[in-house]
Amino acid sequence: MYGIQAINAHNGWSMAIAGALIVMSGLSILSFIISQLHNILALMEKKKKTGDIDAPSATESMPAAMADHDLSNLESSFSCYRDETTRLGSAFTLQDLFAVFQKCDFPHPHLTIRSLKEEGYLVPAGEGMFSWKK
Amino acid sequence: MDLLFQFLSNTGYYLADYRHIVMLCVGCTFVYLAIAKQYEPLLLLPIGFGVIVGNVPFFKGFGLGIYEPNSVLHYLYFGVTSGLYPSIVFLGLGAMTDFSSLLVRPKLMLLGAAAQLGIYFTLLSALALGFMPKEAASIAIIGGADGPTSIFLTAKLAPHLIGPIAIAAYSYMALIPLIQPPIMRLLTTREERLIRMSENERVVSRKELLLFPVIGVILCCFLAPASIPLLGTFFFGNLMRVSGVVDRLAKTASSAIIDTATIFLGLTVGASTQGDVFLTPKSVLIFALGAVAFSIATASGVLFAKFLNLFTKDKINPLLGAAGVSAVPGSAREVHLVGQQEDPGNYLLMHAMACNSSGVIGSAICAGILWSFMV
Repeated sequence: MYGIQAINAHNGWSMAIAGALIVMSGLSILSFIISQLHNILALMEKKKKTGDIDAPSATESMPAAMADHDLSNLESSFSCYRDETTRLGSAFTLQDLFAVFQKCDFPHPHLTIRSLKEEGYLVPAGEGMFSWKK
Repeated sequence: MDLLFQFLSNTGYYLADYRHIVMLCVGCTFVYLAIAKQYEPLLLLPIGFGVIVGNVPFFKGFGLGIYEPNSVLHYLYFGVTSGLYPSIVFLGLGAMTDFSSLLVRPKLMLLGAAAQLGIYFTLLSALALGFMPKEAASIAIIGGADGPTSIFLTAKLAPHLIGPIAIAAYSYMALIPLIQPPIMRLLTTREERLIRMSENERVVSRKELLLFPVIGVILCCFLAPASIPLLGTFFFGNLMRVSGVVDRLAKTASSAIIDTATIFLGLTVGASTQGDVFLTPKSVLIFALGAVAFSIATASGVLFAKFLNLFTKDKINPLLGAAGVSAVPGSAREVHLVGQQEDPGNYLLMHAMACNSSGVIGSAICAGILWSFMV
């Protein structure tokens, strides 16, 4: 059998058309995927970086926003600070107070001490010493 | 005296007929082309010498010939008939291939797909000429211009045609400098050949290079599972290369292993062309169809690039379509040379390599598709 008759008899047209379509579509899909690969990777990298900021590790200090919130509520935190420093005695240096705040992991110790001074919770006791407001 | 006559009657000089002489001439021509003209010497030298070795006349029954069980050549030939050598060659090829240029220019992969149309055109032609479907599929794959793929598929579908198909595939791969340029020039205008590709260079990240072989093997092998022996090893070889953690293995795959497989593949394929089984009217037809397949594949790639240019803003140099066949790196080199003849400042090589490497993937997929159609 020869010619068109042979092609028809052996299903040649279907094989040729299906084969050509399969290889074209397969490589087109692969081409599309690899054309987007670097974009997908860049997106994943970006998301990873954003994720790092959103979920800090436990050892990291509290964000500034949270510290600001605490500072605005100094009155409620004051008793906490005072209780933690009872062993320092009635008068203490700001250096000792800073060491206690650091030991207790209070956020932003410098800023907190400054705020406590400005708000009058820490009062000068003379000779560079300070004491808590009565 | 009788002993002397008996000995003489067993020598090759006495047993030789015209078919042996013809094939010895073919073998010598291949060796000449490989050494003097340097046409694909890595392929033509082992094949040419294999043709000479395989066509030394011998007394049948001594266990010498490649088709005689328990002969040394028969054992070496097992790597061809089982599809082992092509898989190993693909492993080495993967370890040698740099996909960076393809990852930067993914749309060029479409040219690699378009060039496979020559395979399906030849399938129809072979059927029309009276070949059986399995034979026609084996002949058609010559259009992929990929020797190992042609041998692999033929070994599975029509083992009796391995000799002529392998010789045709490798011959046309070696003759790329003669076959492709006239077709490229015929189908393109000078203005088209002068098109410079946009230099959309970007650095390909290591993650992309690592993901590509994994995505490639999953996507392609899910589509055509019959191509696993070729594409599985191909992408694995590439993963070894880009991973950077098995440099020793990648280096061995891309040197010693592929070289060993190429030597035995070439020698045994050459030796399989014994005059009495090779010189048949079918072989002549296979050679003719192989030339058609190769030419149509080249033309399909070029024409498809022109077709894409109708719709795309960034014009593609249509010469690149000719590199969509998987003759790596011969066709890419030829595209570059033809481009440079028109404009010495036009560097098409990296773009052509992108088409070329996608052509390797495309022809292996086609082999898988054809194999699954015939099961």
